[in-house]
Amino acid sequence: MDANTFDMDLLQTLGPELTVFVGLLLIMIIPNLGNGKFRIPGTQIELPWFLGGTRYKAVSSPRLPGLLAVLTMSLALIQVLWYLLETNADGSRANAVANVISSENGYEIFSVNLFSRIFEAIFFAALLLAALASLDRLPTGSVKSNDIDVLFNNRRQADFYILMLTSALGMSVVALAQDMFVLFIGLELASFSTYVLVAFHKETRAGSEGGAKYFIVGSVASAVGLYGLSMLYLWAGSLQFDVLAAKWATDGASSLSMMALGFVLVGFAFKISAAPFHFAAPDAYSGANSPVAGVLATASKAMGMLGLMRVLLLITVPDSAAEDESAVWIGLLGVMAAVTMTWGNIAALGSENPKRMLAYSSVAHAGYMLAALTAIGAWNWGLVDTGGDAKDIVVAALLFHMFVLVFFKLGAFLVLGLLEMEGGASRLSSLSGLGKREPLLAVAMFLFMISLAGVPPMAGFLSKLLVIMGIVEVATGSGSLDSLMDAHWVWWLALLMVLNSAISMFYYLRVGVVMYFHEPEEGREGPLASGVSIRLAIAVCAIGTVAFGLVGGELIELCRDATQYLG
Amino acid sequence: MKMDYLSLLVVLPIMASIFLLILTSRLSAESRKKFDSSIRMASLGITLVMFAIAMLMFLGQIGDVDWKGIAFNNYEFKESYVWIEPLGIEWSVGVDGLSFPMVWLTTLLLPITIIATWNEKAGATYFPLILMMGGALIGVFVALDLFMFYVFWELTLIPMFFLILKWGGKDRKYAAQKFFIYTFTASVVMLLGLFTMYFLMDTQTFSMVEMVTEANGANTSGVWLGLEVQKALFIMLMLGFLVKLPAAPFHTWLPDAHVQAPTGGSMLLAGVMLKMGAYGMFRLPISLFPHALEEFRFVIMIIGLISLVWGAIVCLGQTNLKKMVAYSSVSHMGVILLGIASMQPLGWAAALFMMFAHGIISPMLFAVCGAFKHHYHSMEIGAMRGMAKHSPWLATSMMFGWMASLGLPLLAGFVAELMLMVAYWHAYGWWILLPGLVLALTAAYYLWSMQRTIFEGGDETQPPESLHGEPVPDIANSEKLAMLLLAGFTILFGIMPWIFLDMMDIWTRNAMIFLGFGA
Repeated sequence: MDANTFDMDLLQTLGPELTVFVGLLLIMIIPNLGNGKFRIPGTQIELPWFLGGTRYKAVSSPRLPGLLAVLTMSLALIQVLWYLLETNADGSRANAVANVISSENGYEIFSVNLFSRIFEAIFFAALLLAALASLDRLPTGSVKSNDIDVLFNNRRQADFYILMLTSALGMSVVALAQDMFVLFIGLELASFSTYVLVAFHKETRAGSEGGAKYFIVGSVASAVGLYGLSMLYLWAGSLQFDVLAAKWATDGASSLSMMALGFVLVGFAFKISAAPFHFAAPDAYSGANSPVAGVLATASKAMGMLGLMRVLLLITVPDSAAEDESAVWIGLLGVMAAVTMTWGNIAALGSENPKRMLAYSSVAHAGYMLAALTAIGAWNWGLVDTGGDAKDIVVAALLFHMFVLVFFKLGAFLVLGLLEMEGGASRLSSLSGLGKREPLLAVAMFLFMISLAGVPPMAGFLSKLLVIMGIVEVATGSGSLDSLMDAHWVWWLALLMVLNSAISMFYYLRVGVVMYFHEPEEGREGPLASGVSIRLAIAVCAIGTVAFGLVGGELIELCRDATQYLG
Repeated sequence: MKMDYLSLLVVLPIMASIFLLILTSRLSAESRKKFDSSIRMASLGITLVMFAIAMLMFLGQIGDVDWKGIAFNNYEFKESYVWIEPLGIEWSVGVDGLSFPMVWLTTLLLPITIIATWNEKAGATYFPLILMMGGALIGVFVALDLFMFYVFWELTLIPMFFLILKWGGKDRKYAAQKFFIYTFTASVVMLLGLFTMYFLMDTQTFSMVEMVTEANGANTSGVWLGLEVQKALFIMLMLGFLVKLPAAPFHTWLPDAHVQAPTGGSMLLAGVMLKMGAYGMFRLPISLFPHALEEFRFVIMIIGLISLVWGAIVCLGQTNLKKMVAYSSVSHMGVILLGIASMQPLGWAAALFMMFAHGIISPMLFAVCGAFKHHYHSMEIGAMRGMAKHSPWLATSMMFGWMASLGLPLLAGFVAELMLMVAYWHAYGWWILLPGLVLALTAAYYLWSMQRTIFEGGDETQPPESLHGEPVPDIANSEKLAMLLLAGFTILFGIMPWIFLDMMDIWTRNAMIFLGFGA
């Protein structure tokens, strides 16, 4: 399809993105509508002009932008899910063909397929839940009030949700992009939105500190990534994925392309908070509003992971000409994975702030995902018999992991968000006595924690299991070994991963202990603030955590079907 | 419609427990008190239904199974349903001569545990947790799919974690976390071993039946997967099970967990949960890697001996009654390892029967500990002086429990120990003196010290100090009932061990022939 034919087809293909775009415009316009009238000069006919005058009662509610954002995001999510789940009469997937949108001179810009749509589902789901949770989360005041704080708070509502939607838009561009440059534009749009979202609590010290740190480190990482991109362009003369991949396949690695690859990796490694680029993450997470921190740990991380997958698996694929038929980067990535997961877990052991703890746990999860990527880098290794099966398993495992992570990682942040409404969730003791104060909420939090740790039958167990399975399959190769020492070294990453999950058990369990067996803090007895929408979001997360753990088959199937569109 | 009774045994208690827990959490404090007794009754009712089902299965009223005619790697009441299709994971259940005694034992212990701890505080959440525990335990024993096995294996940790944390003693936080982390660490290593095995074999299946079939086919002519790999996988799998068992030097979580756990938790922990380790050994590493077993039999024997001797000696030095019972458990689990290492059909049958007998005797000891703690507010053996004069029931039960545990003839424990000694003699000759002497000496020491503390000393007119002047109690009727039941079964299986020993014996004989150990 050509981009210059602006027709119904294009509208249909890019439905979810356009929905977000329209929603964005609406949030900007609707809250400003007034009852101003326009009198046609020289007559008495007055036409409603909507601008100026007194604001309509219906549009003056400070909650309106939030509701619009939730509505927009759910419409977009429904379209994406529809795309993913639509089947033909015989039960096969209706959208089995990728829909490529190219420019006039044949450059591929976007590709709409199962793979990109799954990522969009992750982004929209995370942002929808976060927006839903923020409805009760952000303070508003009476519209009539002339108090400067109230006016300020009400004013900020629109800003917050506009940023949510722009980051959704940026993320979906990243998901669809078929060109490094387009991908980078999307990445920056999403990043800049999140920088502001992180710093949104600028009144507090932690908020401004976290925001500043996140912005500075993030922009440096972006700049380094961009520099890498320019080198890639210098090397290949184009930033199209297929051109880059073709160039890599014929010329192989050169010093220029390797350096470029390294720089680009830095840019994405920051996004997924892999060590040693993770230092800003704990500050950013603890300074940000909890739902926003949840978005950083799920959607934003999935976006970085997507970028890594595109670069590592699409362009610099495992090289069958290389000595052991694996990708050039697996050594580097393997070390990074090992360091990231261990560092994350050990740092999490010592954090007394639950948000920092979750941030480090998110670092550890990044390590697990990197380990999976490393395994794909070695996928050619001795797999003559099984073909690309192992690669499919690992990619599907990664998709599944990122999808279900939305439920239990974001869910955990949302529970903290509910506590924040009461006044702070920056100490582990803020959680104390939650089992008595709010039994169901404590159960949900406990489910999230054991899911993060990977205890069956939660979704987190299934996803970790899939990742380990994939790594082991790659490591055992074609099936016969003389001893385990002959297995590919990625097997030891799997071992490190299971040992790390054991370490992580300490700090996840501690949350359970604090919730159930510590007395509530002074002045924090009794149930929490009501907050219907945030509770609804938490309930959705809890149900998803359990449901995908028990019956994750459908989703795994979907992820597996999607892997073929990676390239 | 054909009923799937095994799945029912797993799903019914778990569903009931989730339902009751949700119900409880929605109730206000007052109505919780009101419904407390009905929740207790409901839990007891469900466990009794489960026991009835297991009993009917055993008697052949359901399914009409010939329990003594099950071939190795064949299962009765086999049912499977597709669970997670893309991975080939099934919900698959079945029982054989190895697992059925454990299923029956679990269904027996559940109502007895509930009866013994009838007056536990906050019963509205306690009893549902016991139910969930029971469902998960049965799930481990009936699972024929590796994934399902692992899911239930880990699921048992969650209710136990909460039982220890909420109803435990002073250091319960430390104990609960130690318990969780020890067993979790071991089982994730086991999980990695399982996966490595999965990808190395030809059929790539999670089904234990197909797995054992493939392993056997390859093991008779050569060594399945190669000896080095088999050894590595054997170690990884055994690690998971040895920690659970627990064997020295991984046993340190057990005394902590037991001392801190509430009575009901201890009863199930010692009665069934430890047996998961031994059961897993027979089901996976032994059935799959007989060549590795032969390589490591001496190591297993040494580990078993260390557990036995160490457990017994540390036990001697304890002043805390519950810790003493816990270490005696370690000692008995060492006996199971010795049975495995003897590589004799008799030794394996002894190990299986030891699992079963210890599963009845140790809950009784823990019930005694619980009652003692409950009434005397202490766990110190010193506080028991002259207990027989104040609480004759408790003293009698305790004495009976200890005698059974030490292997008094005509009680269930004796059968297992005798069988083991014979098998061990065949396998290792004069080495037998070590476990034999340890068992005999410790038995003598206990009986002497028990006799001294329970029956001598103390004064009828002067009750123990830990009572702080409260009237001297004897145990409640519910506790009496539970102890009578346990004592009754101990005697029953001491006099007529063949009730379950027959099917265990057939299983071990078939297994030995199948695995190529002759016999």
